[in-house]
Amino acid sequence: MSGDLLTIAPLITVGLTAVAVLLSDGLTPNRRYAPIAVALAGLGLTSWILLQQSGGTVTALSGAYIGGPFVAYLGLLGSAVVAITLLISPDHLAARRYPSAEFAATLLFALCGAILVGASGDLVTLFIGLELMVIPGYILAGYAKRDPLSTEGAVKYFLLGSFSSAILLFGIVLLWGSTSTASLTEIATALTAAGAGLQPAVAMALALITTGVAFKIAAVPFHYWTPDAYQGSPTPITGYLSVGPKIGAFVLMIKIFLIALLPLAASWIPVVAILATATMTLGNLVALTQSNVKRMLAYSSIAHTGYLMVGIVAAGEGEASGIAGVLFYSVAYALMNLGAFAFLTAVQGRPGATVQLSDLAGLGRKHPMLALLAALFLLSLTGIPPTAGFFAKAYVILSAVQAGGIASVLAIVAVLNAAIAAFYYLRVVIYLFMRDPAEVEVQVATAPLLRAGLVVAAAGTLLLGLLPGGLIEAVVKAIAS
Amino acid sequence: MSDLTQLIGGLPILSMITLLPFVGALLIALLPSSRPSLIRVAALAVSFITFVLSLLMLPGIREFSSEFAFSEQISWIPSFGITYHLGVDGLSGALVVLTTLLSWICILASFGPIQNRVKEYFISFLILETGMLGVFLSLDLFLFYIFWEIVLVPMYLIIGIWGGADRIYATIKFVLYTLVGSLLMLVAILATAFSHQAATGSWTGAFDLIALRGTITDPTLQALAFGAFALAFAIKVPMFPFHTWLPDAHVQAPTAGSVILAGVLLKLGGYGFLRFAIPLFPQAAQDFAPLIIALSVIAIIYGAIVAIVQTDLKKLIAYSSVSHMGFVTLGIFSFNQQGVDGAILQMLNHGLITSGLFLLVGIGYERTHDREIAKMGGWASRTPVYAALFGFFLFASVGLPGLSGFAGEFLVLLGAFLVNPMVAGAATLVMILAAVYLLWMYQRIFTGPLSPFLKGLGSHLTDVTPIEIATLAPLAAMIVAFGILPSLLTNAFATSVAQFLMYASGGLIQ
Repeated sequence: MSGDLLTIAPLITVGLTAVAVLLSDGLTPNRRYAPIAVALAGLGLTSWILLQQSGGTVTALSGAYIGGPFVAYLGLLGSAVVAITLLISPDHLAARRYPSAEFAATLLFALCGAILVGASGDLVTLFIGLELMVIPGYILAGYAKRDPLSTEGAVKYFLLGSFSSAILLFGIVLLWGSTSTASLTEIATALTAAGAGLQPAVAMALALITTGVAFKIAAVPFHYWTPDAYQGSPTPITGYLSVGPKIGAFVLMIKIFLIALLPLAASWIPVVAILATATMTLGNLVALTQSNVKRMLAYSSIAHTGYLMVGIVAAGEGEASGIAGVLFYSVAYALMNLGAFAFLTAVQGRPGATVQLSDLAGLGRKHPMLALLAALFLLSLTGIPPTAGFFAKAYVILSAVQAGGIASVLAIVAVLNAAIAAFYYLRVVIYLFMRDPAEVEVQVATAPLLRAGLVVAAAGTLLLGLLPGGLIEAVVKAIAS
Repeated sequence: MSDLTQLIGGLPILSMITLLPFVGALLIALLPSSRPSLIRVAALAVSFITFVLSLLMLPGIREFSSEFAFSEQISWIPSFGITYHLGVDGLSGALVVLTTLLSWICILASFGPIQNRVKEYFISFLILETGMLGVFLSLDLFLFYIFWEIVLVPMYLIIGIWGGADRIYATIKFVLYTLVGSLLMLVAILATAFSHQAATGSWTGAFDLIALRGTITDPTLQALAFGAFALAFAIKVPMFPFHTWLPDAHVQAPTAGSVILAGVLLKLGGYGFLRFAIPLFPQAAQDFAPLIIALSVIAIIYGAIVAIVQTDLKKLIAYSSVSHMGFVTLGIFSFNQQGVDGAILQMLNHGLITSGLFLLVGIGYERTHDREIAKMGGWASRTPVYAALFGFFLFASVGLPGLSGFAGEFLVLLGAFLVNPMVAGAATLVMILAAVYLLWMYQRIFTGPLSPFLKGLGSHLTDVTPIEIATLAPLAAMIVAFGILPSLLTNAFATSVAQFLMYASGGLIQ
């Protein structure tokens, strides 16, 4: 029993940190940064524990929780996402009179869920982890409670989110019923034993699960909640929502599709491949037409969902490097997308500001460093070397080429989409550097924590671009288990 | 080995050449923007030292017994066998020197015209130089691709920030064209590497040009990968019908941007065919050759005809580039000694001559702020030296024997004749067309009575300054030298051509 507690220590640490954050706010009510400091310290401790556990796989709680390098990798990524979000948010929130302690605690609870998803060994922990991860997301989306857009976005997010959770749960139950087990690996064994041919109940389960998961990762045509939820939320929260829950949902996808449903790969690969094509293409085409920068990034994040799905298809074709590609891409995407949203946070210095493309005109002259960092994130999102985004795309495409078949067609679709994406990402760079300054200048926030967040994201983006070797080895180690 | 080679052989000379401009860019970033003249001199110094280093490297190339001299190889991403692998032979050596030469000339030529955001400009230019040098020196496909993409960003900024009125349209067109080609090439690179891994069971050497040459036997992979590589390079050359980005980019780019675009960037395409696409996928290259030869001939004729009717001076030279670069692909895909020799000569000569023409157009534009041919006339009466220099580069471009332009085109035609006399005949006729559009342009601009427009400029219409002469003189000297003794160059890259022809004929595949 005590061994079990040791194995799930990361989960406990994050949970206790969330409680400590709330307590610290009660004890020192007027110190804006105190809860942030407590949260960061807790994340540091969690990361240390995760590193200790990255040696080998350990199961706890009768196989419901599987600790090891895979969880360590995802937990460290999640901790980094939460930490960067915590750096870029507090001043933005404080300027709009929204509390930061509750914010930090909510994020930490979501991290608990994400770790649980990564560690889950059966469908029950998986679903509980998922809900624990996404419910804080609904709260955060509506965090600007006096802003009708935020409330609208949150309600849409909540309704469609709960709806899709219900669909997913229905699918899970059918799967459980027809294979008589909740354990992910035992489901795979049972499905293999059942042999070729899809039983009606399993087919139904597959359809429902695919739909539910497609909602969660915001794949086209189940993406409609994303633009509104993303645009309405306070900008740093949008950054988190476009990264944290999305990567978490992809881990869920890896767990269900690449462990439990792998024997049915031939049945779901065509569907996921079509969804991936639609997601990349539509996300990019709609992003082309946006003049609101935040909404543009929302649609572009849909396109990135599509690129990640290419890795899933490759993995479904039996190419383990597909999972590696998804895991590498997740880190690169987290860094560059959080960076882009941190930039957007910085230019929304004034409460109530929405940033149109034209507002960014000539920013490169007034704020060269900020514009330069923005250009770095945008080039990385485009996939131009030497940035993290380039290696991420190359890794996923490599896995798709290796897998062959449908996946190699997706590789070509993905690179053509990258060229479309270049148009709208580089358009922002054009406004930053090539246009004359706008008449009404945007106010730029220069809080030290925000700057630190920008620098961390930029350093990571560049470092992974120049020396990706270390992370590639970590990824390979994480999936070896 | 000579003492010099031994001395240099102990240094990572290729890394030094490649990375020096980048280091210079970092240093310039630290200089205050309020001191533009200091920034200009620093940029010139960095690019000139790079030029000197590349000259020091040159004599050593032939003293190495291996195909590539001064090789450097460091493991970079061990999981996939990707290495930082540089090496130089006669072909890349010549192109490296062309790049370092044109870089400092361009930087010197930008002293006057670029008065706005000087620091950012020179930083972009030096990063561009690093990218171009990296492309020529990389022997690892992945590294090559990264440098290939790095070239894109500073050029995008140079056209987009310091360009003319329609610069944003031109720069985005340039980027999108290039990116579509290069991204498909990335897929082809990864597929090629994976086929190596699947065949040998190990990632070692999967991205290494030397290890890969002659090992790719799967005909489908050959055809598809060659198609992707060829598309990327064809867009860069540019071959008909992928050339439409070039006139826009040239017209909108600042003078130095046009010079480096014509002088070096277009050569990346020709180099890519010679170094990567054909040696890696020889069978497919042979299969595609008739198509590419046909497109080359179309480019040669079409570029010349369209050049005749241009009213903008820069656009005229841009279309003449399409025509001249058609000779390069025609020569390469003749797959014989004469054709390939001629193609490489044509690449280098076009780099020298067209760069000179763009510099001269820029010099004229500085004084008139116009490039409309119809507005000019009688210019020679006011600025005789300018007119004489223009005439010199013009005749070199026409292909006057004794100047360097002649040898390249002649050898290409000879090579083409051996393959298909009809093709050679058609291309030869175009040399007459080139004389038509260039000489007619010269006549309209420089001869006759002084036009009202030029008269209206009064004392602004000055002759060339010493700095401007300093940018043109090295080019002119080399045009004369290589015109009289083209063997200086053909000897330098003789080994490279022999190697190329061996791989192009599928030499190692049994």
